Formats: sequence, structure tokens, C-alpha cells
Amino acid sequence: MSRRGEGGRIAGLFEGAGAAAINVAREAGGMVMLLGSVLRALVPPSMDGRELVRNLHKMGNRSVPIVALTAFFAGALMTIQSAPFVQRLGATSLAGWAAGYAVLREIGPILIALMFSGRVGANNTAELGTMTVTEQLDGLRALAIDPVRYLIVPRVVAMIVMLVALTAIGDLVALLGGAALGKAALGIEWTTMYHSFADNLGPQDFLQGIWKSLAFGGAIAITSCHFGTTVRGGAVGVGRAVNAQVVASAVSIMLLDFFLTYMNI
Amino acid sequence: MKDAKASAGPVIEFRSVAKAFGGKPVLKDLSLAVGRGEVMFIIGTSGVGKSVTIKHLIGLLRVDAGEIWFDGQRIDQLDERGFYPVRRRVGMVFQNATLFDSMTLTENVALPLRKLGGLRMKAALEQARVRLGEVHLTEFADRYPAELSDGMRKRAAIARTLATDPEVVLFDEPTTGLDPVSARRIDRLIRELADHRGATAIVVSHDLTSIFTIADRIAFVYQGGIRALGTPAELQASPDEVVQQFIRGKSSGPMETPGF
Repeated sequence: MSRRGEGGRIAGLFEGAGAAAINVAREAGGMVMLLGSVLRALVPPSMDGRELVRNLHKMGNRSVPIVALTAFFAGALMTIQSAPFVQRLGATSLAGWAAGYAVLREIGPILIALMFSGRVGANNTAELGTMTVTEQLDGLRALAIDPVRYLIVPRVVAMIVMLVALTAIGDLVALLGGAALGKAALGIEWTTMYHSFADNLGPQDFLQGIWKSLAFGGAIAITSCHFGTTVRGGAVGVGRAVNAQVVASAVSIMLLDFFLTYMNI
Repeated sequence: MKDAKASAGPVIEFRSVAKAFGGKPVLKDLSLAVGRGEVMFIIGTSGVGKSVTIKHLIGLLRVDAGEIWFDGQRIDQLDERGFYPVRRRVGMVFQNATLFDSMTLTENVALPLRKLGGLRMKAALEQARVRLGEVHLTEFADRYPAELSDGMRKRAAIARTLATDPEVVLFDEPTTGLDPVSARRIDRLIRELADHRGATAIVVSHDLTSIFTIADRIAFVYQGGIRALGTPAELQASPDEVVQQFIRGKSSGPMETPGF
């Protein structure tokens, strides 16, 4: 019995792992297909201008406060973390570099992308998911309007553009946060901090973060649209899809960050 | 008049269509021809495959076997892109209206006018107001779908589908859940569509009043195929006990109703 039971358990493990692998492959395949449809719709660009403007406003403008708040404290935290070393070495001219380097290249883009995924990506999946289960997407198809061109492409473009813009804004606010904390806690003058940023940080530090945000924006857009448009099973399905989107976006952000940093893009 | 229409050949034809979901067959061998300008009712019990049948016509579902022809062209093999020209000519009003939540009624109706009719936003909105007036919704034109009753949403959905004047209109239970007055108004609208605009209407319904008031012909779907086909008078005179049980709404009889 035990031998058979053990065999059964092992088979069950393989079965579970296989099912999970097939599931991941199916979702990844769906995302690649969606990416293909979006790229096809973009050459030549064909999308609804009104939907684009609406989404740019909804996804971008309204995210500014939460992004600014996150970025300010991220910048301030970097200064706090580097403060003991700066004070011990008396190297106040390096305080800006320590905070700015980490913020521009890593912390800024990642934190802002994760906030964006939670606020905008999850909202997008829930909205598209509800439209899917209430047959609004089929309604569009029945009206001979392609949901990819009408609904998906403007959202993808808006998310990428706005995450890049928010990252740029966030970077500035984070540096401001770092400088403010430097002044308040360490007594470092604003001008010292400014020169520390200006002398030690280059455009490549800023650009690396921007390239990353471009990739993160694409990943959040494709995952959130994919999980939204493939919802099955009513309200429960929408909840599951939002959950899957948040996890898939976070994993994509981390993986992309690793590869982009490793390749030094 | 009907003979003349019939002689022009069917505008839509299902040939031995089969469709299963998760291994469970819904349509087994369904064949049906619909003439140009005809009001064809597809009737039957819930879950028998009436909505499934009409969704095939605009490519929302794909047949497992059989053929579907529209205006001399075989359409069941078209891909998603190939179906767009068909969808410009065949409109559908869904059972749940499927209006877009984020838009007012006017914006909903203006959408196909803008995207398919090539109108600018202002002209599309003006035209949409006219279309909403035709279904007596002028005073609700600037409301959002969530603020309205089912009947109003259905009427708005009809206005949206008819905005681009499709040649064939598919109605999925257009009067279900409506009060009798609204239901009869929708009946009249469907009849006028065929009589005045020459459109073909395929109506999925269980509403016996509608069926016997406005149908040219009725197709009774049962066990995956068409059990009976004919004019309202022919169906009423049918010797088939299953047909009689349905059209008389009797709870007991020979009809098999799975799941109930």
C-alpha cells in the first residue's frame, strides 16, 4: 500500500507541476499573442484618440499624488540609509550621490512601477474583466469594432507613456526628498546637495531608470490587459484575474529589472 | 410577397451545424434558411442553443461541424478579421444590452456612427440623439446605463445596433424582463424594421405574444436541431405534441427539459 501510495504521491506531484507549467505557458502564450496584436495595430498606428486621451488622464494625471508621495519618502529613506556612512566619513559631498544613484537606477523605477501596477494595472484588469464577463467586449466585436484597436492599444500606449513620465517626475521628487531629509536630519545645505547630485550623477543614471520604466510599463500593460480580457466565471473570475495580474506584473518587473541591469542597458 | 422574397434565395443558411461545449453537444444537426426581409423567430426552452445558434452568425462562436452561409458567401471558416465585414452588415442586440458603462447613452449610440459611419464626434452625437428619440429615450440621452432600467438599456442597445442600418439584425431575447407595454413597442419596432427598411430580423425569444404577433416564420429548436418550422398558424396547427406543449406553455407533456 505504502509503495503504491508513495508512487501515487510522486505522480501527483509531477501532475501538479506539469499542470502549473502548462498554465504558465498558456498565460505567457496569451500575452505574446496579445503583444503581437498590439504591435500589428501600431504599424501604422491605428487607435481611438479619445480613448487614448481618457486613459492618459485617468492612468497618468491621477497617479501623480501617490507616485510623488512614494518617491519623496524613497528619496528620503536613501539619505537616511547612507547618513551614518556620510557622517562617519564626513563626506557630505557624496550624500547626494549615494541617495541619487540608487534612486535613479533602481529604487525609483521599481517602486513607482509597483505602485503603478497596483493602482493602474489592477484597475485596468478589473475594468476589462468586468467588460468581458458582461459581454461588452463581444458587444464591441458585434458592432464591427476591434477591441484590440479600440480598447487595448490606447491603454497599452497610455500606460507606457505615463509610467515613463511618472518615473521622470518621481525621480525629481525623490531627489528633492533626499535633499530635504539631508537638510533636516544631517544639516546638509541645499546647495551642497545640489552640487553632489550635479557632480556625481550623469544622464546615464537617469536614462537607465527611464529605459527600465519603459519596459515595466509595457509589462504591466500587457499583463493587465491579458488577464482582463481572458476572465472567465463572473465576479469570482474578475477577482482571480486581478490577483494574477498583480503577481505576474510584480514578477515581470523583477525579472526585467534583473536582465536590464545585468545587460547594463 | 413572401414567395417573391423566398425566390430570391435565403440571405442566411445554416447547414447541419453542430456545436458542443466541454464535450456536451448543444447543436447536433441544425439546418435553417432565413429569407431576405423576413422576421424569423427562433424559439425553444432555455439552454437549448438558440443564442448559441445566432452567435455563430457574427463569429462570436465557431461551429464544430457544418456550414453557415450569408448572402451567397460561406462564413463559418472566416477568421476574426474576416468577420468584420460581415459584422458591418449583421447587427446583434444582446440579451444583456452590453452598453458600455463608461459612456452615456448618446455616446454609446454615437460610437458605431463614429467608428463605422465615419462621422465626426459632434455629428455622431446629434445623429445618436435622433436614434434615441426613435426608441423614446431622448430625455435619458445623457444618462449612464447603470442609472437606467433594463427596458431602457435594451431600447438603447437596439438604437445602437440599428444606428448603422444593418441588413440583418439578430435579437437575443429582446422582450425578456420588460413590462408588456415596452415589450409590444419593441415588437412593433422589429416589425417596422422588416416592413419599412427591408431588414431581416432573427429573434430569439420565449415571449409567446411576440412570437404570434410579429413572426413571419418560427423555428422551434429541440434536442440540437429544428423540430418544427413554419408560420405562426402552421405551428399552432402542428400535430407534434412537443410543439403543442411549448406553445401552450404546459408544464407536463412529452417534452424533455434537461436540468429541470
